[in-house]
Amino acid sequence: MNGAQHILDAFHRHSIDTVFGYPGGCIMPLYDALVDDVVVEHVLCRHEQGCALAADGYARASGKTGVCIATSGPGATNLITGVANAHRDSIPMLVITGQVPSGLIGTDAFQETDVLGMTLGIVKHSYLVTDADEIPDVMEEAIQLANSGRPGPVWIDVPKDVLLQQVTASADQTTRPSAAHCPDLTQAIQMLRDARRPLLYSGGGVSLAHCEQPFRRFATTSAMPAVVTLKGIGNAGKHNPDNLGMLGMHGSLAANRAVDECDLLLVVGARLDDRATGKLDEFAPNARMIHIDADSAELNKLRPADVCLRGPLDQILEGLTRAIESHPLAIDDWRKQCRQWRTTGGFSAADNEEPLSAITGPAFTRQLSRIAPDDAVIACDVGQHQMWVAQHYEFDHPRHHLTSGGLGTMGFGLPAAIGAQFANRNSTVINVTGDGSFMMNAQELATIRRYRLPLKIIVLDNQCLGMVRQQQELFYDNRESQIDLDDNPDFVAMARAFDIPALHIERTDQIRRGIETILAFDGPMLLHVAIAREENVWPIVKPGSGNREMIDESQQTTRKTREQVA
Amino acid sequence: MNAQSKQTQPSYNLNCRMAFEPAALERLCQVVRIRGFRIANMAVDSVGEHLDINLILEGSRPIAMLQSQLEKLHTVVEVALAEAPLVRSRVG
Ligand SMILES: Cc1ncc(C[n+]2csc(CCOP(=O)(O)OP(=O)(O)O)c2C)c(N)n1
Repeated sequence: MNGAQHILDAFHRHSIDTVFGYPGGCIMPLYDALVDDVVVEHVLCRHEQGCALAADGYARASGKTGVCIATSGPGATNLITGVANAHRDSIPMLVITGQVPSGLIGTDAFQETDVLGMTLGIVKHSYLVTDADEIPDVMEEAIQLANSGRPGPVWIDVPKDVLLQQVTASADQTTRPSAAHCPDLTQAIQMLRDARRPLLYSGGGVSLAHCEQPFRRFATTSAMPAVVTLKGIGNAGKHNPDNLGMLGMHGSLAANRAVDECDLLLVVGARLDDRATGKLDEFAPNARMIHIDADSAELNKLRPADVCLRGPLDQILEGLTRAIESHPLAIDDWRKQCRQWRTTGGFSAADNEEPLSAITGPAFTRQLSRIAPDDAVIACDVGQHQMWVAQHYEFDHPRHHLTSGGLGTMGFGLPAAIGAQFANRNSTVINVTGDGSFMMNAQELATIRRYRLPLKIIVLDNQCLGMVRQQQELFYDNRESQIDLDDNPDFVAMARAFDIPALHIERTDQIRRGIETILAFDGPMLLHVAIAREENVWPIVKPGSGNREMIDESQQTTRKTREQVA
Repeated sequence: MNAQSKQTQPSYNLNCRMAFEPAALERLCQVVRIRGFRIANMAVDSVGEHLDINLILEGSRPIAMLQSQLEKLHTVVEVALAEAPLVRSRVG
């Protein structure tokens, strides 16, 4: 077997049966080996960025390793945004690129780029394979690394001649037993018992560690009021009355208030990102903190914790659950208070009752949440629509909400939805996108057609880059700059050009029919939803301010009215 | 020279052992830079399959944060702070 065949062999050993890629000169030996492979399904996207983001979406939805493949030079550089996206959100990914033949490296050969050098900051680890005999071990190590501890992308760059070389070595498959053990929980348990106003703060680390169930058991048993980060949405459960929803810049008043007033934060799998904490000095000013994370570099990074716990998350959560089962927390008054905030300070966008009125993003999203099946996967893009989904769609599982958190990559949604649909061909997958983001990877409509994927696309079209327009309005004196998209193509006609039927709606009374129609259709379908250009996401915290300084719509209106009067 | 670089910055002496691989030093330097430190001096020795690297670093952020980021690199075997921080003046 040659080097290329050994790469496929590693896929077989690790049950990797779906990969996303795009061929070219230096990676041709791997594509040649694929011709004879009956196990691995290769999905041809229409741009390498689409491949990387589809692999990312596949990994998020399935919990398995996402794999993307490209050629050297432009193939590799096109992958970069997708790999950076996976890196920022700790998604397990394997990236395989062809490189110019060994003897040509460093000669400015055709389609040569220094992939290893260029990608150092966006990978968990990377390899330039110089000898085909390294391939079996490199593949083993790379797959293990991508998935272990804090997951992340691992990039393997292989010169063309190395792909063609015969391999004599075989993979060292000795599995190293994990040395991880549960840390001592005594102090954390005591802090939980002592707290009068404890708050459970969870992020993407819960599902990355495959700990959705132990987390849910802990949340239910402790009955602690809970807030989630953008990537933790779904952790606490749709029916949990103590779930206050997302905190932070576009978080709920209830969640931010609870953080402000709590006396103990139990942070699980979250890294205290600035979009979540707001101004750090003003974040949870009265709280002690227990921080649980797989990555020791995250502990004490931004805010010192009173207790840091690192170890197998399932064991930690189970240990805490057992302790609380035997001695329930005495936090009834605090729970009552938080539930009241939940009622008065949840995301309160009105369901628009006026049938002929224009559609609003929040009203649409709430209807979608009610109508879509419970296990639907929603892949968002980036912008206002992403925040409306985070605020108003009720998720019951974190893997049902695919969103680009750390990097905020416009163009993520459509390829990520494609990946998610490959992860489960029978699930309902919906890409909720904006007119700006949709155009960033619209070429992937061709991938949907090619593989007859039944996924649904909802374009919330406000004819502009809404999130940027909103910040220009609020923080730049309404000086609009380069945000107009009123020359968008006809999205309905565009979808049809890819054999994807499409529907346009613009009035509130059309929302239900629109959603029901696309969901009932046996195949891909696009729903084009016209919404007002001026609509904003509320509430909002000005970047750099404390979360206490939330501006909501009524305050904004009052301010405007006051200015008009003056 | 900008205003900030004229100020005195704590300086640290860090020893690092890492596996000898194609991008070893770049990997190390990239993390040092992005985490807010400046390399004032660097000495490298190759010892069998390893590189022993001594770094004199300057930066105003906590050195422990850099240490934990370097320890995360897959090819880094060990990172140790050699002596207590000195304050070096960079003026003049
Ligand atoms: C690749 C990329 N470029 C630029 C940005 C900056 N950005 C963030 S939101 C946004 C506007 C998104 O517009 P659209 O997709 O139409 O969504 P809307 O906010 O209107 O809902 C922009 C330009 C980004 N996040 N990603």
